[in-house]
Amino acid sequence: MRLEKCWFCSSTVYPGHGIQFVRNDAKIFRFCKSKCHKNFKMKRNPRKVKWTKAYRRLHGKDMTQDSTFEFERKRNRPERYDRNLAENTLKAIKKIDKIISDRASDHIKNRLKTGKVQRQKEARKQLELGIHLVKAPLALAQDSSLCLPKIKVNVSQAQTEENQPMED
Amino acid sequence: MVQYNFKKITVVPNGKDFIDIILSRTQRQTPTVVHKGYAISRLRQFYMRKVKYTQQNFHEKLSTIIDEFPRLDDIHPFYGDLLHVLYNKDHYKLALGQINTARNLISKVAKDYVKLLKYGDSLYRCKSLKVAALGRMCTVIKRIGPTLAYLEQIRQHMARLPSIDPNTRTMLICGYPNVGKSSFMNKITRADVDVQPYAFTTKSLFVGHTDYKYLRYQVIDTPGILDRPFEDRNIIEMCSITALAHLRAAVLFFLDISGSCGYSIAQQAALFHSIKSLFMNKPLIIVCNKTDLQPLDGIFEEDRKLVMEMKAEAMKTVIGQGGEPTNEEGVLLTMSTLTEDGVIAVKNAACERLLNQRVELKMKSKKINDCLNRFHVALPKPRDQKERPACIPQAVLEAKAKQAAEKEKRKTEKELEDEYGGAGVYSASLRKNYILANDEWKEDTMPEILDGHNVYDFIDPDILLRLEELEREEGLRQAEEEGDDFEMDGQELSLEEQEALAEIRKKKSLLIQQHRMKKSTAESRPVVPRKFNTDRKFTTGRMGRQLSSLGLDPSLAINRARSKSRGRKRERSVDKREGDGGDAMDIDDNQASKKLRLRSTSRSRSQSRPPGEVIPGEGLKDSAQKIKAIKLAKKSVLKRNKNARRGEADRVIPTLKPKHLFSGKRSIGKTQRR
Repeated sequence: MRLEKCWFCSSTVYPGHGIQFVRNDAKIFRFCKSKCHKNFKMKRNPRKVKWTKAYRRLHGKDMTQDSTFEFERKRNRPERYDRNLAENTLKAIKKIDKIISDRASDHIKNRLKTGKVQRQKEARKQLELGIHLVKAPLALAQDSSLCLPKIKVNVSQAQTEENQPMED
Repeated sequence: MVQYNFKKITVVPNGKDFIDIILSRTQRQTPTVVHKGYAISRLRQFYMRKVKYTQQNFHEKLSTIIDEFPRLDDIHPFYGDLLHVLYNKDHYKLALGQINTARNLISKVAKDYVKLLKYGDSLYRCKSLKVAALGRMCTVIKRIGPTLAYLEQIRQHMARLPSIDPNTRTMLICGYPNVGKSSFMNKITRADVDVQPYAFTTKSLFVGHTDYKYLRYQVIDTPGILDRPFEDRNIIEMCSITALAHLRAAVLFFLDISGSCGYSIAQQAALFHSIKSLFMNKPLIIVCNKTDLQPLDGIFEEDRKLVMEMKAEAMKTVIGQGGEPTNEEGVLLTMSTLTEDGVIAVKNAACERLLNQRVELKMKSKKINDCLNRFHVALPKPRDQKERPACIPQAVLEAKAKQAAEKEKRKTEKELEDEYGGAGVYSASLRKNYILANDEWKEDTMPEILDGHNVYDFIDPDILLRLEELEREEGLRQAEEEGDDFEMDGQELSLEEQEALAEIRKKKSLLIQQHRMKKSTAESRPVVPRKFNTDRKFTTGRMGRQLSSLGLDPSLAINRARSKSRGRKRERSVDKREGDGGDAMDIDDNQASKKLRLRSTSRSRSQSRPPGEVIPGEGLKDSAQKIKAIKLAKKSVLKRNKNARRGEADRVIPTLKPKHLFSGKRSIGKTQRR
């Protein structure tokens, strides 16, 4: 029993799921769900379809080269069974998994960092330029910080006795 | 072989069918269309063709019949005689002769009419000639109709004759009726001959086959023969006689010792002597049947003498063949088909005798000598007297012995399975012969899948080392990451600044929305200019709030706005009531202005204006004009008294006779009423 990779979106195909297509030249295409299968039949290139791993790797959205990928490799040479080796492998798999996911998320974070910086700059500029919409120049002259002005409420006793003007 | 052809004779059609077949064939296979306008030669040709075609077909079919039926002189005399016995040679020959004559007649007819057709001068004449020709041919056939039927019968019967090969090893069983010939036949061959208590159960020859010493023997069962003079014999008996006469076979003469067939031994002996001439040159065996009812030793003296005489005759045939006069046993045998006692012995004896005879004959013939010259069995000439047996090395012998022993000792999986309860109960442990570092691991199950990964892809003998390296790397990398993160945080906006930004964005989007609304409606609807304040949103209170939200002090602006606004009559009348006749417009009077201010601040919706009051900007000159305008407006809205006159809501028929309702046909249905 093996977990395969979907040819289109590169997600894992668990046993009992998906479709396998064998072409006349004996190349096997495995698909995890009918969405991928139908896209394949439409002859779409996975490298151009935004949500596939192939696209993401190609356009640098996801991590492509890393030493951790060397751990998971299909080896065709059978090894003699060794209980200790099996135990160690199982423990190692968990650790390696964690490292891989850490690295992948860091990669994405780094990628998004530049955008964040840019947005902050823009916000600052917008604030500076548009402060006149919320703060009168007079108030700005008095208090030059770029925040909302403090509202001064004149409470006179006479006015409270008369009928209060209705709020608009 | 000749006998098989009897099954392959084509069916002989009866007279009418024959004519039909030929004529319809003529009609189909020759051209059918002819007109009297054609050239005369063409017409003649047309009809000549038809006549000739018909004649040819008749000729063909009759020829096949004549050729396929066997000529009694050309086939094996056994068959010739058999056919003669069954069908009467003369009748048979006559029938075939008639067919031949018919054939010739037809040819003659055709020839004559073709000659006449050559000089036919019109379509009609040619046609009548052709009709006459065909008619005559058909009459010929009609006349031989019964002959054809007779030949068909013969053909059917011939096809069912038993396929006897006259040249191969044959055994013939003969004797009185009911002596047990057919039962014997059933015992030694796979033939299933009818066995019944009445005489002449077997009415024709039956063939069966049996094996002896890897050779196939034909066994022929004949109908019983009665002791009668030759001329009186009926067809059935004649069959057996024919067989006896012509087939070169071993003869088994059956004798019923018990007499239960209804005939005494004396009668049977008499029969024997009357047909013993037919036993010339044939190995003869006398078989005494039904010994379970009466053993051979228990018969009467006279009968015994008769039997011995028969035996003596049989012996003569043995000696006559030049064989050894030793085998007395092979001449007279006893058996019982009921108890199957001695049946095989009889068969073996008969087969042996026949075989010997045939071999002897072959040896005597010239052909065998040629064959014999070609055989030679080679034997190496012994060099000296030393014996040289086969030599097998000792090691090989030992190995063979060991292998044999091992095969016995080792327990196979199948045996284990059987021992522990069979296929469904015991499942063999496929792993028990595994070679592992530690034998406890033999029955371990290892997971193949973990967390979405194939475990087999990760297995590596030095996975631990690599994992350590990896973790070290990871530690370093994480430290670097933290350093980078630190630098980033300086540039963020503070909370208040974020609030301000949010407000700015909200205001901006609101402005844009309003602008868009205005933009879209401005062209399609006339808009009230801003200064008329129809939705009453330009109040000082509002202005005050907006200004203070911007951070300015609104009080000055509010005062200025209020002082600039015009007072209303109502306020002045309030002042008049107070008894002050002074100029209410005197703003400098503090009291008055205070009152004004008071009045103006309490401007609310509940206060209405007087009816004739002119509001600046309305477009009316003075209050009189306004009042007049109001009156006019009211008059125009006054309701008219219609006094039950026809109004807009009352039904009106614009056209009393619309054309589409009073004319036109319907596509389906009646137009009785419209």
